[in-house]
Amino acid sequence: MDFTEQVRKRASQLIEEGTVACVIGWSAGRLKYQRTPTCADTPEQASNLVCDQHCEHALGKYVLEQKDKGRVGLVARGCESRAINRLIADRQINREDVYLIGIPCTGCTTRDGVELKRCHECQFRNPVIYDELLGEPAPEPKNDRFADVRKLEAMSREERRAFFDLMYETCIRCHACRQACPCCTCKVCFAEQEREGWQGKQFDVEQARYYGVTRSFHVADRCIECGECERVCPMGLPLMTLMHKQIKDIDELFGPYEGGGLSDEGPDALRTFKTDDIEEFM
Amino acid sequence: MNQITENTTPAVADASPASNGAAKEWQPKILAFCCNWCTYAGADLAGLNRMEYPADIRLLRVPCSGRVNPQYVLKAYQNGVDGVLVCGCHPGDCHYATGNYYAKRRMLVYKRLLEYLGLEPDRFIVRWISGSEAGKFRDTVIEATERIRELGPLSNDLPHLAPEDIPHPISAKFEWLATPKNAREGL
Amino acid sequence: MSRIGVFVCHCGTNIAATVDVQAVADAARLMPNVAYATTNKYTCSDPGQQAIADAIKEHELDRIVIASCSPRMHEQTFRKMLAEKTSINPYLLEIANIREQCSWVHKDKAVSTPKAIDLVAMAVAKVDTDKNLYTSTIPVNRKVLVVGAGIAGIQAAIDVADAGFPVTLVERNPSIGGKMVKLDKTFPTMDCSACICTPKMSEAGNHPNITIKTLSEVEKVTGYIGNFEATIRERAKYIDYDLCTGCGACETKCPSKTTNEFDEGLSLRKAIYKPFAQAVPSKPTIDAKTCRKLTEGKCGVCAKICPTGAIRYDDTDRTTTETFGAIILATGYDLIDWTKIYGEYGGGRYPDIVTGLQFERLVNASGPTEGHIQRPSDHAEPKTLAIIKCVGSRDPHKGVSYCSRACCMYSAKHAHQYLDKVKDGRCFVFYMDVRCAGKGYDEFYMNTLHDGAVYVRGRVSKIYPENGKLVCMGEDTLSGQVVRVDADMVVLETAMVPNEGASQIAGVLNAQRGPEGFFTEAHPKLRPVKTNTAGVYLAGVAQGPKDIPDTVAQAGAAASKVIGLLARGQIESNPMIVQVDNAKCSGCGACTDICPYGAIELTEVSLRENSRKVTRTVAKPNPGLCQGCGACTVACRSGAADLLGFTNEGIMREMEALLR
Repeated sequence: MDFTEQVRKRASQLIEEGTVACVIGWSAGRLKYQRTPTCADTPEQASNLVCDQHCEHALGKYVLEQKDKGRVGLVARGCESRAINRLIADRQINREDVYLIGIPCTGCTTRDGVELKRCHECQFRNPVIYDELLGEPAPEPKNDRFADVRKLEAMSREERRAFFDLMYETCIRCHACRQACPCCTCKVCFAEQEREGWQGKQFDVEQARYYGVTRSFHVADRCIECGECERVCPMGLPLMTLMHKQIKDIDELFGPYEGGGLSDEGPDALRTFKTDDIEEFM
Repeated sequence: MNQITENTTPAVADASPASNGAAKEWQPKILAFCCNWCTYAGADLAGLNRMEYPADIRLLRVPCSGRVNPQYVLKAYQNGVDGVLVCGCHPGDCHYATGNYYAKRRMLVYKRLLEYLGLEPDRFIVRWISGSEAGKFRDTVIEATERIRELGPLSNDLPHLAPEDIPHPISAKFEWLATPKNAREGL
Repeated sequence: MSRIGVFVCHCGTNIAATVDVQAVADAARLMPNVAYATTNKYTCSDPGQQAIADAIKEHELDRIVIASCSPRMHEQTFRKMLAEKTSINPYLLEIANIREQCSWVHKDKAVSTPKAIDLVAMAVAKVDTDKNLYTSTIPVNRKVLVVGAGIAGIQAAIDVADAGFPVTLVERNPSIGGKMVKLDKTFPTMDCSACICTPKMSEAGNHPNITIKTLSEVEKVTGYIGNFEATIRERAKYIDYDLCTGCGACETKCPSKTTNEFDEGLSLRKAIYKPFAQAVPSKPTIDAKTCRKLTEGKCGVCAKICPTGAIRYDDTDRTTTETFGAIILATGYDLIDWTKIYGEYGGGRYPDIVTGLQFERLVNASGPTEGHIQRPSDHAEPKTLAIIKCVGSRDPHKGVSYCSRACCMYSAKHAHQYLDKVKDGRCFVFYMDVRCAGKGYDEFYMNTLHDGAVYVRGRVSKIYPENGKLVCMGEDTLSGQVVRVDADMVVLETAMVPNEGASQIAGVLNAQRGPEGFFTEAHPKLRPVKTNTAGVYLAGVAQGPKDIPDTVAQAGAAASKVIGLLARGQIESNPMIVQVDNAKCSGCGACTDICPYGAIELTEVSLRENSRKVTRTVAKPNPGLCQGCGACTVACRSGAADLLGFTNEGIMREMEALLR
């Protein structure tokens, strides 16, 4: 996957003709396989954009930072496009605030050519919405994304407890997962409301668990499965296992999971109900 | 999950006869979120009919089961509660028409999530109990109390695994930086 | 630092016998911020209440906990006491239920006392977070909107208007009267339907407090109880009603004809028409789809003939916006379209299969046949009549799963009317069950059996024409034999379904409907005419199938609720409602999706953020609509929406207190 030339060309054109105020994409980093999210404001800056298999950052949420400039151009793969749908559904942006340059993604790899976990699990590589698409749609492998969940579900309760205790002992509560998540658009996060009693300040496994579980539940019915939380976690925690667990349950309990930014319309699974929902609390 | 309780001994606790001396028999504490219109009324009716049930339960009145934030459940465990009940009107009977339907969806997902996280599922019970079902209220309390007494204090749930038996949660993120290996194998 | 007072009640021996109340008070004294704790023999008695008021003054208490019976019992009593006898806000009160949930259910003092202490500790922790709350009064606009002018809407409008309040009665059709005015006779007394319905119609038409808007629909409703703002679209009538005298000259001369809806398609009417003789308003309208002048531009006969010059071909729709204090929904029903679902009955191909309403027109003296029962195909008098009940009703596979309730009786009525008018006729009624619960109903059914109607228990599986007859094949499930009836005419007693306009008005009002599409009452037993949207009431079949007596009774009930609301002139708002912290609200709208009352809307506000002024969207709860369920607070991830009286902080402090 290398769309560098096309992206540079279109981004420059779009900025020049005034369709967009800026284009969010990636530029080359310090190392050969490093990429950095960049916002190009001028055609010159746009000519430095890069778009290849090393572009591992998901860009969707950067729109929020740049939207004051005017209409924002965004290089959009499957994950970015769904993030945009999510932001629209959460009423954070309007569709006309963004111009999506669609990229048929074939997945990102490490420098060694190994496919990233989140790209392996990705269900929608092609952008679900776009204003223009560069190239032909890519094949959608639709690999099983619940393999990890099934593995954990098969373990004993004690093993799972040990697994997650270790996970939350490792968590340093840097809140990077929240910062990266396109569903996390609260003005004030619950994790920073100590007085109300949501989240204790103690640095221990319990408070880390409360933060992690609560954050995951907050995005449970809205997760776009981009895996950005897991990618940015400095401790390498398998955060998507929580998301996939809830998505799998919602899928099984309430019908096909549609919260994942496939459209910009709600309501999401936990914001609606059917009178004949499954009953197990009688 | 018991770290807070172990470390906290506020002055008030001394006044309570139950906490006099740690040697005394362990009494579970079970918190029940009850909607004002059905379950709380059912509990009142149980009282009116002098139905006896174990004293380990503490009712917390909320206007509707839809008001119960699933986060409270985890919060309650952290506060050292041994079991949590969430009770509301039967679906279709909600005083606010739809609150318990939302509660149902949330609790269905949250209960599965807590179970997945390795918390003992029987410590978290959701039941629909109407204002006339005093008997069901008593039975639910008895059933929940008996089960939680069997399970013992929350600290019993802590894993007792040898370190080498603990499945490692850290993904191979750092490993694969060194050796090319599919990240997913770390699980 | 608050100063909390704790008052532990003995309740005679009700509590004191199983809870050591003194120990509870002693323990309470040590709880955080508790300034005073005592016991009292009977806290709810006058001296008990006075003791609290005195203690508040003496010890400068600023909030109190009463450990006594259930808050469902005496919370209001104590709130009233605080409001009347003390300077403390009545909402700075928590009740620890140590009677129903402690002393009455536990026998051992050793376990019930610590539990009582826990319950008091929880209440103390919560009361510490309580804030002053104030009820506000919302003025109620003393005008009522009634949607739908069938018998339910008419009755409700008259009842409200008689009490002295102005009513606007909105009807989609050119005349009020609904379905009842189409009927011939009413069971079980066999009163002439028109004779009892049309006086009501003219009473409504002439009532000084009733404004009738026909050919009108409610387009939009905003606001809340006491202050609804409704936009009503009145479709063009093409006639100036101020000039028209209703002489009917235009109708006689009009050259275009179309199907007559009032006669259920059994006759024709003109393009300029009055639906029926006793219509209210008693003036014609032009059907723009049929009128030659309006479709082709030529004709204009009616304008030439009209003695007062009332015809207005350039008439347009008018919309008006008015404010109302309450709304009554009386949208009524339609009959299920059996032709789409019953292919085995010919799917509408055989003209001699008619619905119950069509039969009503055939048997009606003012109907197309002047009351002579004639079959539509050749106007012959049917000598054998088959009546099939539950067509669409109680049939979840094809129609609806519910029972339409009135059909058992009106099918008996049809059989009776037929046998009365066709002396040598034979009548077969195919039924699943005969449900005649009502005053004089079963007697009526028995009389129909004595008249000679043959009731066959079983459904008709197929109807086909043969030698000029309609052959009904069915099974008599009582004898297990196949039954064949060669009928001259077949009447299908079809299911009632919600009026097609119901979904539109439901959307406009955010009113809830059940799975069948009927409006949902606030409580099936205790609040049968209210909806979950405060200020919106239900009358008639809009709420579920019912017969005329029940409809009229319900209309009266709805009217009395409305009169009660309007007579007060104002309502006290519940202060325990949702409040949104604008600073925390991101305007995502999760709460608006959840709210069952449509009480939260998104609005733009300007506020200061990072010391600069910004305009952004936030959620704004409407205190007139919010009922305080708190479902939205859970959907609000940042905790911006919080329920006053049951705040997040309060609930969490309660949980913490439990473990101290």
